[in-house]
Amino acid sequence: MSPIDPSIGPDRAREVFRAELAEVRTDAELQALRTRWVGRKGSWVAAFMEALATATPEQKKPVGRGANELKKEVEAAIAERETALASTKRPPNAVDITLPGRTPVLGHRHPLSLIRDEVIEIFTRLGYQVLEGPEVEDDYHNFEALNMPAEHPARDMQDTLYLTRPMPAFAPDGASAGQARRSHAPQPRTLLRTHTSAMQIRHMEKHDPPVRLVAIGPVYRRDNLDLTHTPMFHQVEGLVVGKGITLADLKGTLTAMAEALFPSTRAEGARSGQAADFIRFRPSFFPYTEPSAEVDIRCIKCKGSGCAMCKKTGWIEILGSGMVHPAVFEAVGYDADEVTGFAFGMGVERVALLKWGVEDIRLFYENDLRFLEQFGL
Amino acid sequence: MKVLLSWIREFVDVKESAEDIGKLMSVRGLALEGLEVIRPALSERSESKGDDVVMDFDVTANRPDCLSMIGIAREIATAYRLPIADTGQVARDFSSAIDPSAPAIPVTINDPELCGRYVAAVADVTVAPSPQWLQDRLTACGIRPISNIVDITNYVLLELGQPMHAFDLDKLAGPAIIVRRARAGESLKTLDGKMRALTPDMLVIADAERAQAIGGVLGGADSEVSSSTKRIVFEAAWFKPSSVRATSKKLGLKTEASTRFERGMDQTAPARAMARACDLLEQINAGQSDGRTVDVYPQAHVPNQVKLERRRVPGLLGMDVPDAEVERILASLGFTTAPHKGVPYDGWLVTAPGWRVDIHRPVDVIEEVGRHYGFEHLPTTFPGVQQAPAPSDPRIARDRRTRNAALGMGFSEAITFAFIDTAAAEPFLPSTTLGAGSGGEPVGLANPLSEKFAVMRPSLLPGLIDAVSHNRRHGRRDVRLFEIGTRFSPAGESRGIGLAWTGLATADHWSGARRDVDFSDIKGVVEQLAASAAVAPAFTETTATYLVPGRAAHIVVNGRVVGTFGQLESAAGERRDLPSGDAVCVAEIDLDALTAESPTDTLRAATLPKYPAVVRDVSILVDDALSAETVRGTIRSAAPATLIQVREFDRYQGKGIPDGKVSLSFRLTFQSVERTLTDEEVQADMQTILDALTRDLGAIQR
Ligand SMILES: [Zn+2]
Repeated sequence: MSPIDPSIGPDRAREVFRAELAEVRTDAELQALRTRWVGRKGSWVAAFMEALATATPEQKKPVGRGANELKKEVEAAIAERETALASTKRPPNAVDITLPGRTPVLGHRHPLSLIRDEVIEIFTRLGYQVLEGPEVEDDYHNFEALNMPAEHPARDMQDTLYLTRPMPAFAPDGASAGQARRSHAPQPRTLLRTHTSAMQIRHMEKHDPPVRLVAIGPVYRRDNLDLTHTPMFHQVEGLVVGKGITLADLKGTLTAMAEALFPSTRAEGARSGQAADFIRFRPSFFPYTEPSAEVDIRCIKCKGSGCAMCKKTGWIEILGSGMVHPAVFEAVGYDADEVTGFAFGMGVERVALLKWGVEDIRLFYENDLRFLEQFGL
Repeated sequence: MKVLLSWIREFVDVKESAEDIGKLMSVRGLALEGLEVIRPALSERSESKGDDVVMDFDVTANRPDCLSMIGIAREIATAYRLPIADTGQVARDFSSAIDPSAPAIPVTINDPELCGRYVAAVADVTVAPSPQWLQDRLTACGIRPISNIVDITNYVLLELGQPMHAFDLDKLAGPAIIVRRARAGESLKTLDGKMRALTPDMLVIADAERAQAIGGVLGGADSEVSSSTKRIVFEAAWFKPSSVRATSKKLGLKTEASTRFERGMDQTAPARAMARACDLLEQINAGQSDGRTVDVYPQAHVPNQVKLERRRVPGLLGMDVPDAEVERILASLGFTTAPHKGVPYDGWLVTAPGWRVDIHRPVDVIEEVGRHYGFEHLPTTFPGVQQAPAPSDPRIARDRRTRNAALGMGFSEAITFAFIDTAAAEPFLPSTTLGAGSGGEPVGLANPLSEKFAVMRPSLLPGLIDAVSHNRRHGRRDVRLFEIGTRFSPAGESRGIGLAWTGLATADHWSGARRDVDFSDIKGVVEQLAASAAVAPAFTETTATYLVPGRAAHIVVNGRVVGTFGQLESAAGERRDLPSGDAVCVAEIDLDALTAESPTDTLRAATLPKYPAVVRDVSILVDDALSAETVRGTIRSAAPATLIQVREFDRYQGKGIPDGKVSLSFRLTFQSVERTLTDEEVQADMQTILDALTRDLGAIQR
């Protein structure tokens, strides 16, 4: 930096100082600026005062005042900047808090497991017991007791996977209440259960009504892998049996479940003032229920206006349900004149597909961390 | 079932658009699968000249009657409260034409159980293409037009649901029709040109010499109606559902006829269908029947009757349906209802029409009432609770606790298919791990989808290894996965947790050292999982073909092996496309076995100690073949009860340590619940311990 020519006078000097101050970024630069302008030796002020000493008395007074004013101004400006710089100064040993943290590794939940727990939580809240059952079943529990005797056409609806060699039958239970009711001999287990309904039978064989349960777990069908099918998938099965259980009870229960599982779609219905349009019950057919109903919710994608996903109907099917068929009660020794009941079965994958907009069901079984890590804990 | 709106409107005067009809019928039990608008030329025969629409309804398996125009029309009429024009086209009464003494063709039913009715009519015909309107209707409904005679049988099938067949009369030996079981070794060339081997459980329609059709499934090629055919026999019959189903399944042959017969057809329909076919014959100038019809009907149909108690309707549905509505709905669907008062029940005696093969019980009738009254009118109520709910399966809470522990240790949850390929299962079978003759064959599938899904997994590890491999091949170096699921063996099922870990063991951070996973990491995970079940396991060395020798251990609780862990043998990984050189550590614990060994409800909170603990470190040189467990054991047996913890904190070999030796450092913590321990007594205890280490293990204090 060149020395300052004292002859430029206070006014020009003020301009030069201001320009130089504006360039100052660090404390060191500021100290250098101080020395250069107001230091004891070699500074602009010192040089000016020296020059002033040889001036005539009538020149001295106004110029001297101007120089003193500038000196004060320079000192004040430097002090102000000093304070400003000090306030941005970081403490010694400060860390860069924008560097990434040392992250403990946390695992991610599988989306199907999240839905499963959500369903368990809903039904626990509604006072249900949650059960699991064997995945290898006998023909009796998977089909016959559910009103699907051999050669029943409905067996085609669920193409079954069979074992090469049967697994042993479950040992008959001790002298439980249900034992006397059981009308069939224990069978070897020959197939992979095609639905969790098999669990209903096992439970009712052993327990008198009232029954209030959900069963949950994997089921198996001989379906080829594609966008919407896998040969193994998961089901939630509900069963309520007691005096005076009605189809309206089923409607209330499933509406509550659907609202809890699909809160955003539900809220959409409420905003449009058509909350009742959120869910609908369509008569259908299942061998083990009569009447039977399939349950649709408003299409998640188009909110009901019709799109490719809902085949332009505005509705998406989420589950099958109905009133337990009297033949099922007869199979487990319940008195169909005394009790009624409802049952429903829902695909966990289907709920997850709809809820999170997953486009390929196979993703659930690839276990690609890029997929899994999108879901919470 | 594809139906044509113009055709439906011949039976029911429904004014609404196809879209509106589809919407309403979807909530009345006929889900609309598709709509297709087609050109006006099709509807020239009907009143309306506008566009026609093909509506594709999803007909459930219990409603074969709806596999017809009349069936769908009846549902629509009921839904829209409209009358159904059921008579005009099908009212021809031909009972007077039946003359048993001079039958048009002799018909014999040898097996009346399998064929409950056989109606036949003979006609002179001129075979030619059908008129365009008839061809268009068949085409619209998905059936290819063939010739006027065959088209008539298909037209009646679509309109009334009754399958029909036409034989070339001049090609039938006799001529005669004999309905019988196939003879052993008999075969028949069917209309599709294939030779079919028949078995005696199959029902055939034969002439005097041989089979000419498979009853209810498909006709034979030899008696097929051709352009040179002059005389035909029309068949309209009733076949037993289970028999048609078994035959169709055995032959792998599904036809429009078999689909209907196997679900159950109306025994009262064949005569009406025959009348309709003969009418059409004249109407389209295809020929003329001689007016004589044969109707062999050994056992007249007995209609299904159901006693419907009035109180059962709201009792099952949870909504009230007015009596008038109950009666209207049932009448519109073709049921007859006779009110029944007082004893033994208050309600209706309901008689089902012949086409309703699905009506057996009161609930079947209540469903009809409910669905046509409308499920949208159902209130939403909740089942009452009479008693506290029974406890849930304890595995649910256990698995949740185990899952949370694994998640907390950085493992993400996987779900893999329970069926795997045979080669993937092999290293994990008991016969492999415990030696031949242990009876550990895999649980195989008789009809697997593919070789990839041939056996049920004996272990969770093959699926997890494949999942790790998938992630490695997709650019992920660090993978931690676990799965809680079922394993299968010929003895049964068990629930386990499997874990697989590859890549970094440490946090991936700019500041620190990185270290890949090793045996100790997976052992730590196993220990924590055991701790989450309140179990402190022992570990024993083991070998397994899929684990690196010397880096494989069993988890033992109360003398019982509950799991295995170690480092995956690289060949085992490479076989599943894992890059070689990756260390993968795996563990599997039988949760059912672990639960059985874990204490239940025995936890009692301990009082916190009042007196300070004294900590002493000791370093010793011992033979490096000695296990830490042995050294720890010696320390414990020599120490007083005030020794509350022994912890290895260093293990060193190398510079300054003689070959074959290892330097071990232990931190010992002493504490008494009764008093403050003095320096002197701890010093004395330490000396006793050192003496024991020197005496028993030849240790040298460093
Ligand atoms: Zn949509």
